[in-house]
Amino acid sequence: MSKKSRSKLWFLVHSWLALPIWFFVLIVCVTGTLAVVSQEIVWLANPQMRASQPADDAPRLSYDQILAAIKQAEPQTVVQRISRPDESHFALDVTVSYPDGRSQTVYVNPYTGVIQGSAPDFNFEAFTRALHGWWLVPFTNGYSWGWYLVSLLGLPLLASLITGLVVYKRFWKGFFSPTLRFRHGARIFWGDFHRLSGIWSIWFIAVISITGIWFLIEALLYDNHISISSEPVIPAMAREAVPISADGTPPPRISLDRAIEVAQQKIPGLEVSFISLPGNAYSHMDLGGRGWYPLMFQTATLNPFNGEVAASRRLSDRTALEFVTESMRPLHTGDFGGLWIKLIWFFFGLVLSMMVLSGLLIWTKRTALATANAFKRESKKNRVTAQPATHREAAEVNL
Amino acid sequence: MSKSTVAPQPSRLGRFWHKWRFHINVLLLLIPLGFMPKYFADAALFRGDIGLGEREVGEITVGPWSLRLAELRNEAPRPQGPAGYMKGFNAALCDACIDQVKATYLRIGKPRSLRAAGALFFGTPYRMGTQLPVPEKTKADAELWITMEGWDGSMHQASIPLSQASPATLAWLTQQGAQP
Repeated sequence: MSKKSRSKLWFLVHSWLALPIWFFVLIVCVTGTLAVVSQEIVWLANPQMRASQPADDAPRLSYDQILAAIKQAEPQTVVQRISRPDESHFALDVTVSYPDGRSQTVYVNPYTGVIQGSAPDFNFEAFTRALHGWWLVPFTNGYSWGWYLVSLLGLPLLASLITGLVVYKRFWKGFFSPTLRFRHGARIFWGDFHRLSGIWSIWFIAVISITGIWFLIEALLYDNHISISSEPVIPAMAREAVPISADGTPPPRISLDRAIEVAQQKIPGLEVSFISLPGNAYSHMDLGGRGWYPLMFQTATLNPFNGEVAASRRLSDRTALEFVTESMRPLHTGDFGGLWIKLIWFFFGLVLSMMVLSGLLIWTKRTALATANAFKRESKKNRVTAQPATHREAAEVNL
Repeated sequence: MSKSTVAPQPSRLGRFWHKWRFHINVLLLLIPLGFMPKYFADAALFRGDIGLGEREVGEITVGPWSLRLAELRNEAPRPQGPAGYMKGFNAALCDACIDQVKATYLRIGKPRSLRAAGALFFGTPYRMGTQLPVPEKTKADAELWITMEGWDGSMHQASIPLSQASPATLAWLTQQGAQP
């Protein structure tokens, strides 16, 4: 195969990867971009979610103080989980259960313990994630087919990156002499835009496509009942481990602050960012937080009556493979280092969406141009049939 | 691609296809649109906005206590991989027994002992759920047993016909060829 026809082939492959499904790819990119900052969008729309500090030096309440404040305000409400979002401008997310059987997330001020309000019924974060992650197709038996539909896009995305770099000869030169021509018509502009944003998002496209392919593999492993986890299954507490009380009332549980102390002894340096309270008499209390490696959580599982550690999961308990696979999700979502990482992911998410759009625009403009040229020639030469088509093909290939 | 353009007189259908072939994928958007009502219905179900579950079974007395039982979904058991078929039930404890009841279990057929009382409910006294394994060979006249254990070590049991607890499960069993 000649060099020219080989590059023509690469080019054809590159344009066909996304073209027939461009709208689907575009919506997946746009919803993913929104999902990255969905928590921030809710924060903007919903003042109750903000953690306003009453005074500059007001300390944050301990988890026990939070629990006590909720108990005092709403004695009937049962707290199931308290979680402290990564960024300090968010209120605590507390999952509660009400006597009428409803479950809700309420926003609690971390400085005062005041229940500021409950999460809106329309959960924007969950919705954008569901739309982006599985196209809203429900999970009935194993992974939803929507999940496969979306995660399969990782393959053409990675292939687009590779073929794009092959057809863009000496792409590294683009870093030193960025070109974005505004006055040469839309076709030239979008071509420049596509190339320029492409080379600056190489790393991002690689991250998103590889982690996307991991989501596909993850679903395939799960649906074929293959496990790569080294994490032991923690059985419910033994009958003997739960005290019986003579007067028939529930025996006292250790305080949350004591539980944190125990967890920190087991996992030095643990910064507890969530506590899940036991869901019945035989279930444990779970605590966890990020360690020095921000992409993964470390957790401790305790007996809530005597504070014994039933299990713990530290960074060092993970296998090398798990370090890679467990890093995939945070790398995809960008929620591992606070607002700035999210904003970077958001920006490049927008750029990636624009790349889909510009790719389509280049294709349509080039086709339109080629067709117009072909017609011009056609009327000049006053000939019919086959000729225009071959010209068009050629024009399409000469980027 | 080139074949259709080389054809001397493309048919109207051919021209239409050629013009719109790359926009047909817009129709993929119909998938999430179609599933949206189900998505929001499920969100409301799990939030407890429509009650304990899709179908309330009723208040069942268990010794000195009682609970409200509901089917999470008014449908047949779902396959859960190697674990077999599972049926989701939700329950809420009576106000007076919240502080007395240590654990609540659900089982098809009478448990031989407290250690084999069945699927343990998980959640809060206001709303707890469990996944009940339903073997495909379950008899149509099987009974659903509720076991409640007190903090003082006491135990109380009650049973209701499976047909009353979940007509959808019974219909599914009958379809599988269950004998009464």
